Amino acid sequence: MYSLEIKNVTKKFVTAKKELLVAVNDVSFAIEQGKIHGLLGPNGAGKSTLIGMISAMQAADKGVIEVEGIDVGARPTDVKKMLGVVPQEIVVEMPFTVEEVLYYYAGMYGVPERERGERIREVLTELDLIGKLKDRARNLSGGMKRRLMIAKAIVHKPKFLILDEPTAGVDVSLRQKIWALVRRLNAEGTTILFTTHYLEEAEQLCESITLIDHGRVIKNGKLKDIQQEFSKNVIHFELFDRAVAHMAGVIEVGSDYEFPMTDLGDDLARLTTYYKGNIKSIRSESASLEQIFLKLTNSPNV
Amino acid sequence: MMTGMWALYAREVKRFQKIFLDTVFSPLVTIGLYLSVFGVVAGDRVIGNLPYLAFVYVGLLSMMLINSSFSNPSFALIIAKNVGSIIDLQLVPIRNWQIGIAYALAALARGIITLSIAVVVTIWFIPLHGIAHPFLLILAIGLTGIEFGMLGVTFGFWAKNFESLTFMTTFVMQPMIFLAGVFYPVATLPHPWGIVSQFNPIHHNINFIRYAVTGYSDGTPWISIIVVGGLTLVIFAVMNFVTRRNLQIS
Ligand SMILES: Nc1ncnc2c1ncn2[C@@H]1O[C@H](COP(=O)(O)OP(=O)(O)OP(=O)(O)O)[C@@H](O)[C@H]1O
Ligand SMILES: [Mg+2]
Repeated sequence: MYSLEIKNVTKKFVTAKKELLVAVNDVSFAIEQGKIHGLLGPNGAGKSTLIGMISAMQAADKGVIEVEGIDVGARPTDVKKMLGVVPQEIVVEMPFTVEEVLYYYAGMYGVPERERGERIREVLTELDLIGKLKDRARNLSGGMKRRLMIAKAIVHKPKFLILDEPTAGVDVSLRQKIWALVRRLNAEGTTILFTTHYLEEAEQLCESITLIDHGRVIKNGKLKDIQQEFSKNVIHFELFDRAVAHMAGVIEVGSDYEFPMTDLGDDLARLTTYYKGNIKSIRSESASLEQIFLKLTNSPNV
Repeated sequence: MMTGMWALYAREVKRFQKIFLDTVFSPLVTIGLYLSVFGVVAGDRVIGNLPYLAFVYVGLLSMMLINSSFSNPSFALIIAKNVGSIIDLQLVPIRNWQIGIAYALAALARGIITLSIAVVVTIWFIPLHGIAHPFLLILAIGLTGIEFGMLGVTFGFWAKNFESLTFMTTFVMQPMIFLAGVFYPVATLPHPWGIVSQFNPIHHNINFIRYAVTGYSDGTPWISIIVVGGLTLVIFAVMNFVTRRNLQIS
């Protein structure tokens, strides 16, 4: 069962210069229930536009989006009930306190009045914002506002949580806290879709990713599989003394050596037994998400 | 199902409660100024059996109701668009018509609160004794507040900025209110203005309210009642259309 299914979705905009911009181009992918999924891509790739369509803020020009089996275009209000969304842009209501913001927002998602107080306390405690309960939302610091946005998105306990760059402009310790929160919600059964420009964040959090560029899906699948596909499947090593007889299968690459591996553990053991103390360094080459990303998008601008 | 709508309504009521003094104070000053001028000018004049001061008084209160119901949602929505918090309305699972109605009801609430305070402060100076048709008055105030509340919602979604709001109030709303028979019976206007006034929708709101309070009507009261009811429905439809266009789908 999928929590989210996107089928051949296209969205076009008319730019200020009256040109047609295809922001999302025939995108299809799906997220299984209970997973954490990363949506990655350079600036302007179409991530936020896609999120806008999933959360029924924008209509798709073509294609179908289903959340928990419900068509967003046909029954937007029913879909919205199941979603919690943290938009990319920080916005705060002018006159209200943190408590008021959450009280009315939870109400708008149908949380009964008598449950709101406790829910608010829970999320604010978890996000380390409980001390700001009575403060005006607009007087919070940037990072605190970001946390308030997250609190708004989870206060009604959504089935499906969407976070558009939740950790942009957030300090390291807070980022860890947000990750922990995401993991806990996921462990409790919330399906999560998030975008990020921090690739280590995607590596930390999600099992599967979709990589988009210029509105198109360029890679989609389990992070491990993608990494394996891009890793060279070789063991790379350096020797102190290069004038030795080499083990069968070893190839010289510049001043270093490579060995095509079949099983990492066995092959490492064989190489270290053969060369013993002559090995200066040894590592298996597994592509980082960053390398994959750069390779696929040809963009230094992650 | 309705919890969401009422939470939005409650939030909008809270919003104007936070600026409570502005909410009631400036209309109070306005109405006080008008009354002191007209109190002097009016003398013993009567319109039908109605003292002129009572005639103007009910007109001024109606004007206040119309202004505050219109400006409350239009201001709130234009601000929301400018600071970006309109995204909350796009995300929450509340239907478009419910969003509009929540704002319109909050506008009505503000209108009624403003009205009540104005009445408590000023009624002592006015030669008015009792209400001619109390039930009609509830209907008249309810419909007028919601009608202009919904018009404010429509305009708030449609307008790009405060300049268009100022334009709308100065060049459309105010002239229409002033030509709606707040200060004089439209029947006394020279030809063709008396007839033109019949086509001014606001004339019918004011006439409806005045008839409910005093029993005096410019022309047949039922025409005004029907016009107000019909326009409320039309504005509801227009509001839904504009809201949907501006909040995208749903
Ligand atoms: N309302 C709009 N009108 C016109 N163009 C738009 C609109 N919204 C988005 N775009 C364009 O669509 C493209 C995709 O934008 P989008 O915000 O989805 O990118 P993104 O992947 O979220 O980028 P970032 O990582 O910078 O947030 C961009 O070129 C953007 O300028
Ligand atoms: Mg974005």
